[in-house]
Amino acid sequence: MKRILFEFITLVALFFATYFLFSRFDWVSIFKIERVTKSTEEKIGDTFWEFLSKTENEIHSDSIKSKLENLINKICVPNSIDKNSIKLHVLRKSDINAFALPNNHLVVFSGLIENCENAEELCGVLGHEIAHMQKNHVMKKLVKEVGLGMLISMTSGKGNPEIAKEIGKLLSSSAYDRALEREADLTSVEYLLKAKIDPEPFANFLYRLGDEKENIPNQVYWISTHPDSKERAENIISIIKGKTNPKESMMSDEEWSTFKKRFKDIN
Amino acid sequence: MNSSNNFIYTPGEHEAEKASNSYLMSLIAVIAGLPLPIVNLLATLIFYLGNRKDTYYVRWHCTQALVSQASLLIMNSISFWWTISIAFGDEVITSNYIAYLITVILFNLVDFIATIYTAIATRKGKHVVWYFYGNLTNLICKP
Repeated sequence: MKRILFEFITLVALFFATYFLFSRFDWVSIFKIERVTKSTEEKIGDTFWEFLSKTENEIHSDSIKSKLENLINKICVPNSIDKNSIKLHVLRKSDINAFALPNNHLVVFSGLIENCENAEELCGVLGHEIAHMQKNHVMKKLVKEVGLGMLISMTSGKGNPEIAKEIGKLLSSSAYDRALEREADLTSVEYLLKAKIDPEPFANFLYRLGDEKENIPNQVYWISTHPDSKERAENIISIIKGKTNPKESMMSDEEWSTFKKRFKDIN
Repeated sequence: MNSSNNFIYTPGEHEAEKASNSYLMSLIAVIAGLPLPIVNLLATLIFYLGNRKDTYYVRWHCTQALVSQASLLIMNSISFWWTISIAFGDEVITSNYIAYLITVILFNLVDFIATIYTAIATRKGKHVVWYFYGNLTNLICKP
């Protein structure tokens, strides 16, 4: 029996020693496997944003952007997220939508802000998109659905503009898979709690827009492309149940209305 | 691996053929079951069950072929699911993944060659005892 045990340990040790030996080599470089590097992601993100900025109407108002950046800062600082890495873009569009592009480009539609009843609701959505960025969901989704080869060819200018348009649509209108969406929701709630922002309005937002979706399905992009919004709202409620949620408002109703009015003025 | 004629009795022609077939079975199944590692274990298991009431020599070699497949199953299953999670999940190709694949291929290759050698040797009536698996078989398979 001792001999069998000794021989077994020798075989296992031989296996791990072989594995250890081979793992010393940088096979990814040896086989020239294409990998998402920071610079690839930067190029891809900037290419898509360039494409989007040409086709959409960006709001450059400093007062609006600084207000939104303040909200992003409130989420980022307590969660040790580098706020400077997030590139915020506000687009003038009535669709209720926000999405993340590679290289931390965060695109928010004016329609989303106009449909949020308070700053906490907007923070929930922003937290959700920041979670997609922090968890690297954006690149994972792109590589999975488009393929890294195609993405690299696009950044080198060899890509077909029609394909770029389709990929842009994919990023702005298609949801991530169910597991990633759930992860982003949970992470957003964690961010909000750490930032002492009440997550309940985020759940209310999902629930309310779940109802609105039935009336104006084409405009509620953020919900129509994110499945089971009511179920997601219930998930959030079940997470925060029993916890002491911060009740202090980030912005008074008056402040929030003034902020939303600025969009109407711009329009 | 130790090859000798020192079995407790001299196996007959019919026994040598059946014992050799147990290794051939795992070889064929390895080829058929490469994408799904469970296939070769199942094939060897079915052959083992079919011959479990046979003579000691046949049973002994069927058992050795079976237990050697079991450890390959673990190694190959890990590489199979790792590959699946890269192809359909969130995992990416890393140097560790490639190192693991090379290790597994190497061990499979050694097993493949050892199996061919044993199939030929047992066909000639020789008794081939593998390192570790032979002693394990001695423990499981009694005359």
